[in-house]
Amino acid sequence: MDKSEKLGLPVLLALLTIFSLLLFLIPAFVIRPFTHQSENGLRLAIAVKRIAPALTMVTLLGVLILSSRLWRSASRWLRTGIVTALTLSVASAAMVRQNYFEWMFHPIASAGFVSANDSHLGDQEMVMAVRIGQEARAYPILQMAYHHILNDTVAEVPIVVTY
Amino acid sequence: MWKRTARGRELHFYLAGINNQNFLMRDRETGSWWQQVTGRAISGRLAGSTLESMPNDELTFALWKSEEPHGLVLAPVAGHGDKDYDKKWEQEVAKYPVPLSFPQQGLKDRDVILGVEMGGQARAFPLDRVRGPNPVEDKIAGVPVVFVTGPDGASVRVFRSQWNRLDIDLYRDPQLDRESEVKSLDWHLLDSEGNTWNFAGCATSGPAIGQCLEKINSLKDYWFDWKNYHPRTTVYSH
Repeated sequence: MDKSEKLGLPVLLALLTIFSLLLFLIPAFVIRPFTHQSENGLRLAIAVKRIAPALTMVTLLGVLILSSRLWRSASRWLRTGIVTALTLSVASAAMVRQNYFEWMFHPIASAGFVSANDSHLGDQEMVMAVRIGQEARAYPILQMAYHHILNDTVAEVPIVVTY
Repeated sequence: MWKRTARGRELHFYLAGINNQNFLMRDRETGSWWQQVTGRAISGRLAGSTLESMPNDELTFALWKSEEPHGLVLAPVAGHGDKDYDKKWEQEVAKYPVPLSFPQQGLKDRDVILGVEMGGQARAFPLDRVRGPNPVEDKIAGVPVVFVTGPDGASVRVFRSQWNRLDIDLYRDPQLDRESEVKSLDWHLLDSEGNTWNFAGCATSGPAIGQCLEKINSLKDYWFDWKNYHPRTTVYSH
């Protein structure tokens, strides 16, 4: 390893790691609750989210190659840096594959229904009600306000209940 | 509530993000991004597609049950209790800051409105101004509409107040007012043509008996969110 590599490779390693982190952090920062999302901000966030799963893998591969090249002759400080870079790159590649909105509001994997008479719902609770053909369904707002989305099929019509 | 088909394809949606406090969803089939309140794909392969809206009501459980005794109710999902199904959720959300503000029309950002779109026009009806014992009438794009609050005093439906191509006035039966306790079953409205109407919008007596008024879809929303997606909306004022 010559001198330019000795300085250049760690810098490249750092840049790749930062790049990988940004692939996770930019959308996470833009699409956060209670703040304003501008049209351009949202477009950027979605664009990044779409390429992030593939790009974080490419970045991780780059980080792995650089790390293995640097490791043998690395000082203790540099080795700490390498381990940090690897950890962050792996974390970023993992996080861009996670849907943390579904950590907060668990989806309904399979919906169960009870008859109107068997339901323990309070009389004054609000429901979203739908009737298609001969089938009538009620979706308590109490539940929908938490899960937000339910994919259902009523009288063979596929619907999505959203609240 | 939407039909989950686009371009002839059945889709399955999941929660994927938030845009100015209205959530974003994605479909598993194409990964496209959809705005919940508009049913429109904003990004991805299906960008530009719009889901067909599914007419629905927001009713109290008791009222719904009286109308649909054989209906089915979504059961609480196992593992989720009172902590997730928070009864005070709406009150808590009301305290959160809003990402957008449109103060110029005399409404507060989080005022709950019922939004109606007709003939290319959008109008917001503040819920506390249309919910009450007396039906509230208005005209949107020349079409007469009436907001009716049900016997539970909470559920609101919107109808086109026309029968037999005639504009009709719906009003509360003064007889019912005199009774100390109004039973849900007796609840009805009168009109200028000698009909009585139930909360489903169907005539229970009079020349129109057996016929029903056309139901108008409305969307319950916060004012700031409605205004954001309907920038040219007007606000009901009477």
